[in-house]
Amino acid sequence: MTGITTLVAVVLIVGPALFRPPTRPTVVGLVGPAAQALAPALRNTGKAAGVDLTTASVSDDSAARSELTPSRTSGRGQLGQLLSSLQGGQATLDVALTVDSSSATIEFYQTVSPTLAALVRAVVQEAHQRDVLIQGGVPTSVVGAAQQPEPISTVTLLATQSDMAGRSIAALAAGILLFVSVGIFGSAVASGVAQEKTSRTAEVLLAAVTPSQLMTGKVIGIGLVGIGQMAVTVGAALIANAVVKSSAVPPEVWTLLPAILLWFALGYLLYAFGFAAAGAMVARQEEVQSVSAPFTVFLIGGYLLMYASIASPDASWVRIASYVPPLMPLLIPARLALGHLAIWEMPLAVLIMLASIYGMARLAGRIYSTSLVRGGPRLSWMAALRLR
Amino acid sequence: MLEISDLYQSFGERIAVDKLSLTVGKGELVGLVGRNGAGKTTTMRAVMGIFQPLGGSIKWSGRPVALPDRLRFGYMPEERGLYPQMRVLDQIAYFARLHGVELAAARKQAQKWLETLGLEGRGQDRVVALSHGNQQRVQLAVALVYQPELLVLDEPFAGLDPSAVDSLSDVLRAEVARGTAVLFSSHQLDLVERLCQRVVILEQGRVLASGTLDELRARLPQRLRVKVTTSVDWTSGLKGTEVIGSDSEGVLLAIAPGTDTQALLRVAMAAGSVEHFGFESGGLLELYRQLVTS
Repeated sequence: MTGITTLVAVVLIVGPALFRPPTRPTVVGLVGPAAQALAPALRNTGKAAGVDLTTASVSDDSAARSELTPSRTSGRGQLGQLLSSLQGGQATLDVALTVDSSSATIEFYQTVSPTLAALVRAVVQEAHQRDVLIQGGVPTSVVGAAQQPEPISTVTLLATQSDMAGRSIAALAAGILLFVSVGIFGSAVASGVAQEKTSRTAEVLLAAVTPSQLMTGKVIGIGLVGIGQMAVTVGAALIANAVVKSSAVPPEVWTLLPAILLWFALGYLLYAFGFAAAGAMVARQEEVQSVSAPFTVFLIGGYLLMYASIASPDASWVRIASYVPPLMPLLIPARLALGHLAIWEMPLAVLIMLASIYGMARLAGRIYSTSLVRGGPRLSWMAALRLR
Repeated sequence: MLEISDLYQSFGERIAVDKLSLTVGKGELVGLVGRNGAGKTTTMRAVMGIFQPLGGSIKWSGRPVALPDRLRFGYMPEERGLYPQMRVLDQIAYFARLHGVELAAARKQAQKWLETLGLEGRGQDRVVALSHGNQQRVQLAVALVYQPELLVLDEPFAGLDPSAVDSLSDVLRAEVARGTAVLFSSHQLDLVERLCQRVVILEQGRVLASGTLDELRARLPQRLRVKVTTSVDWTSGLKGTEVIGSDSEGVLLAIAPGTDTQALLRVAMAAGSVEHFGFESGGLLELYRQLVTS
């Protein structure tokens, strides 16, 4: 199972990278001496705008059109050409600029890039203005001074963290990972307990171990397997991403990793004991899902609230909900990722979770020990709690 | 020795075991018989600590049974208690390790019991792939692999073919000879009669009778089979006797203690030609029926 999920994760990361054209600087083709004279200005303006841009001299319009047209055989070797073909081919130029005495033409192959078009247009316009002013007798130094950019700063009324996008991604990633892993491995505990009950294996086991030992051992064992599987799958995905550079991993993810592991452990323990009690109550394996429903509902609810909290991490309802024990494993890491968790809140949250885990273990242990070897139809939660 | 004293257990309104007492000594094979719901399984589960009984005591070697003692008990539940998808050898070794056997010794003992119970070559099969009889053999191997001091077997012969019954019987005899105390339940009274030194008969959670077969027979009236060639009903008017059966082999009479059997013989001879006159000891089945109905 670990192998399959790891393979799927790696394929999902590597696959798109295989079909994505390799990244390279934007190439502006300059047709004719007038356009080629604008090369330094284009490169400087591109740099100032944060566009990775380079220029290339082109002999004439015909050559420009040819180099604008994507070629489907630009890869090396048969595999390279196959990939290139699948990627849709690549052109030598991204845009071509032709300037004559009265006009300028900016030419794209199919789709106009507004950013690139505006950049090129600004450079052409600036050159034209300089020419007109110089021809009109304005001294070159004055023209140069006039074209110096005015210092302009951009501010916002509300202070926001510049890395909010990365933090939001980290919060979402953590929430998804915790929701999926706690759900999967918690359910595995319920299924395992139910199997031992329905196959009567529990009776043979209880001759050698106490009910609490059996339950705790199963919870911890499956938890360790879960952490191991997560480590392998997530690790393989991160390595694959680093190799193919499929997408940039926000740095917040790395700093959040210890917290993710901690809250996986805490969240899993809380839910796993509950799932163990649920598994002990069933009369048939098919009843596991319905008996486990209360825990599943809390998990799903926590996930949805986590998703909603990303938009307003400082809202009162988020703060309050993040101290409800079944919701804590999903909401606390999200608040941490979004930078809205005070320093004192983390240890407090951990203490609350530890106390909750202890309480859940005691309650679950009582249900587990009385229900595990009890025959007959499935019990309700209240009936199971009343059993001696 | 296993000592169960005044064991009491109820489930809701239903009393499963009501002040039940019995003992099983080392090297003794005791059979537990009774109807469905008589309390056999409840008693065995209480011995194995699967639940804490509401009353009474269970002692082993004079001390209340604790977990360290139960590690030396082998248990075979009525319905198989095995992981269906686990391989046979691994499963037997696993339960051996659970009972304190080291890994290497556990695998060695597991292999040995596979061969002893006729499962050689099946070690790598998953339990679910085995027949019912072979799964029972695996279950028995699980109970025996760590050389228990007490064996508690709930319906071990259920569903077994005759050769498997013989094989299991031989194993139990060997364990008893080794000094293991064995308590097992069965509805197959002929098997219980053949194997057990003592029998405990349960009815509605209580011990109806307990002892060796001879002791149990002594509790019941003697039985006399008489075959007389005659056309008259010579049994009417007999004192101290009751006709409890009649077939082609003659009439079966229950004789009350103190009845003059010589006088009975004279009456039979006077009625006709006596072809057979002899005492008959009832099997366990007959004993059981008489005890339960009386």
